[in-house]
Amino acid sequence: MSTRLNIISFATKNLRRKMIRTLLLLLAVTVVTGTLFTATLFISSMQNALKIGTYRLGADVLVVPEKYASEARAALLAGEPTSFYMDRRVLEQVKNVDGVKRVSPQLFIKPTSFTCCYSVEAFLVAFEPSTDFTITPWLEKNLKKPLVDNEVITGRNIPTIVGDTIPFFGTPFSVVGTMEPTGMKFFDQSVFMTMDAAYQMAENSKTKSQQPIDIEKSKISAVLVQVREGIAPDRVAIRIEHDVDGVKAIASDEVISTVRKQLGGLLKGILVISAVVWILALLMIGFAFSMIVNERQRELGLLRSMGAKKGHIFRLIITEAVIISVAGGVVGLAAGSALLFTFKGLILHSLKLPYLLPSLSTLTELVAGAVLFSLLTGLLASLLPAISASKMEPYEAIRKGE
Amino acid sequence: MIEVTGLTKTYSIDGQVLKAVDGVSFSVDRGEMVSIIGHSGSGKTTLLSLIGGLTRPDAGQVAIEGINIWSMDDDKLSEFRNKKINFIYQFASLIPTLTVLENVLLPTAFGDYGEESEEYARELLKIMGLGDKTTSYPAHLSGGQQRRVAIARSFINRPDIVLADEPTGDLDEDTEKEVIQLFHRMNEEKMTTFIIVTHNRDIANQAKKQFTMSNGVLSPI
Repeated sequence: MSTRLNIISFATKNLRRKMIRTLLLLLAVTVVTGTLFTATLFISSMQNALKIGTYRLGADVLVVPEKYASEARAALLAGEPTSFYMDRRVLEQVKNVDGVKRVSPQLFIKPTSFTCCYSVEAFLVAFEPSTDFTITPWLEKNLKKPLVDNEVITGRNIPTIVGDTIPFFGTPFSVVGTMEPTGMKFFDQSVFMTMDAAYQMAENSKTKSQQPIDIEKSKISAVLVQVREGIAPDRVAIRIEHDVDGVKAIASDEVISTVRKQLGGLLKGILVISAVVWILALLMIGFAFSMIVNERQRELGLLRSMGAKKGHIFRLIITEAVIISVAGGVVGLAAGSALLFTFKGLILHSLKLPYLLPSLSTLTELVAGAVLFSLLTGLLASLLPAISASKMEPYEAIRKGE
Repeated sequence: MIEVTGLTKTYSIDGQVLKAVDGVSFSVDRGEMVSIIGHSGSGKTTLLSLIGGLTRPDAGQVAIEGINIWSMDDDKLSEFRNKKINFIYQFASLIPTLTVLENVLLPTAFGDYGEESEEYARELLKIMGLGDKTTSYPAHLSGGQQRRVAIARSFINRPDIVLADEPTGDLDEDTEKEVIQLFHRMNEEKMTTFIIVTHNRDIANQAKKQFTMSNGVLSPI
C-alpha cells in the first residue's frame, strides 16, 4: 500500500490532532447548516403544498357565506372541518357578475367517523358533476368515467383502497379512486361525492343514522368561480361582494398571499437567527484557524523549507477548514432532516399550514445548496488565516514558532 | 557549486539593529563538506537559512550552480529547495500526526516524485536503525530516534546540498558516529554537499573546509 501523502490526507490527519476543537468547529457548522436547511425545506414544503393545493382547487375565487369566511379559509389551508350553508340562489347571482366565466357549487359537510373499521375523520365535499370544473377534470383523466351517486373518491390520507365500501351517515359508498397527495388536508383528508349523493345521504340519515344531518336541496356551502381570461380574480371577488349580499369572495391568490406573508415572517425570523449564528460560526472558525496557524507556525515554516509552495500552505489550511465545514454541513443536513421529520406534525399542528415535500429535483437543489453553503462557510472563515499562513517567510515562521 | 557573496542580514530588536550575518563571502565546491563552528547567537543558523533560501538577505547574494537563488520567484525557489536542498534542524522537526514513514516521505508531497520514494524512505530508515518504526508516531520515539527520522527525511529527495544545523545534538555517541558516517557516505557516493553548523569540534574537524563564525562574521580556520 502506498504511503504517499496528499493535501487532503495530510489535512485530515492534522484535524485529528485536536479532536475536541475539531468537533466544536464541526458542531458550529452543523448548527448553521442544519438550521438553514431545515427552515428552507420546511418553508418550501409549505409553499409546494400551497401551490399544488391551489392548483387542485382549480377555482380563481371561492364564494362563501360572509360570516363563515374565516372558517372557509381555515378549511382550505389547514383542512379544518367545517360546514356552513347558504341559499342556492347565490349561484345564479354570482354567475351574473361581470367577469365571471363559470360557477359550480360545493357542499362541505362536517366530518364524520366511519361507522366501522376506521378512526380517521373525513371531510365530506360534494360537487355538482354537470357544472364542476375542479374535481371532474381529475375524474376524466384518472377515472375515465363520471362519478355516480353511490361512489366516492378519497384524498390520500383516507385509509381506504379502491373497492372498499364505506358508510357515511348510514349510506354505503364505494371507493372508486384515490387522489394524489397535495399536502393540503382539505384535499388529502376529504371524501368527494356528487351533490345528489350528498342530499340523498342527508335524507337517508334521518332514518338510517344515529347522527342525522339536515341539508336541504336548496342549500350549498360555497360557489367555486372561474374568472374570464385577462381579468384579475381579486377584482372579480370585489365585484361579487358588491353585487351579491351576505357573501365573502376569497380569491385563491389572496389565500396564497396571506400564507406567503405568514411564511415570509417566519422565514425572516429564521433567516435573522441563522445569519447571527452564521456570523458567530464564521468568527469562531476564523478565530480557531488563526490559532491553528499561530500554533503551527514552525511546522508550516518547516514544510516551506522542504519545498512546499505558498499555494500548498494556503490549500492545506483551506482544505482543513473545508473538511470541517462540509462534514458539519452533511451532519447538519442529516440532523436537520431527522428533527424535521420527528417534529413535523407538532409544528404543523401549531402553524395550521399545508405541507408537502418538494419534488426530488428541488430537494436535490436544496441539499446541494446546503452543502455548498457549508463549504463557503469554511472557505470564507479560513481565507484570512490561510493567506497569512502562506505569506509567512519560512525562516521567520520557524523562528517565531520556537 | 555555492557562491556566497557579501551576504548581510540584520534584525531590529527593541529599536537596536543587530547584524546577524555581516558581509559573509565564501564558496563551496560540489561534493564538499564544510563545517561552521561558533557560539550560540553568532549567526550560524541565519547563515544556513540565507543559503537555503528561507529568508531574504538585506545585501549580497547566494548563487547555487551559477543561479542567484534570490532572483527566482517564490514558487521557483520552493521547487528549487524541494529538488536540490534539504535541512536538518537542531530541534525536533517531525510532524506529530504523521507516522515515521510519512514524515520521511513528507518532502515528496510537494514535488514530482515516483512510487519508489517509499522504498527509498524505508531503506533510509533501516540505515538509521529505525526499520521497525515505520508506523510509529513521533510521540512514541525518543529524542534521538526523532532526530534520526529527521536525518532520514533530509535525504529522501536525494538533495545536492544538505544544510545541517547541529545535526547530532540529541544523539548518543554511537548514533552520532553512524550519522556522520552516513554524511560521509552520501558525500562520497552521491557527491552531496554538506554545510554543517556544529558546536562539536570532532565533527567540525572531519570537514574539508572549516569556518568559525562570530558576531555574524565568517572566518576560515
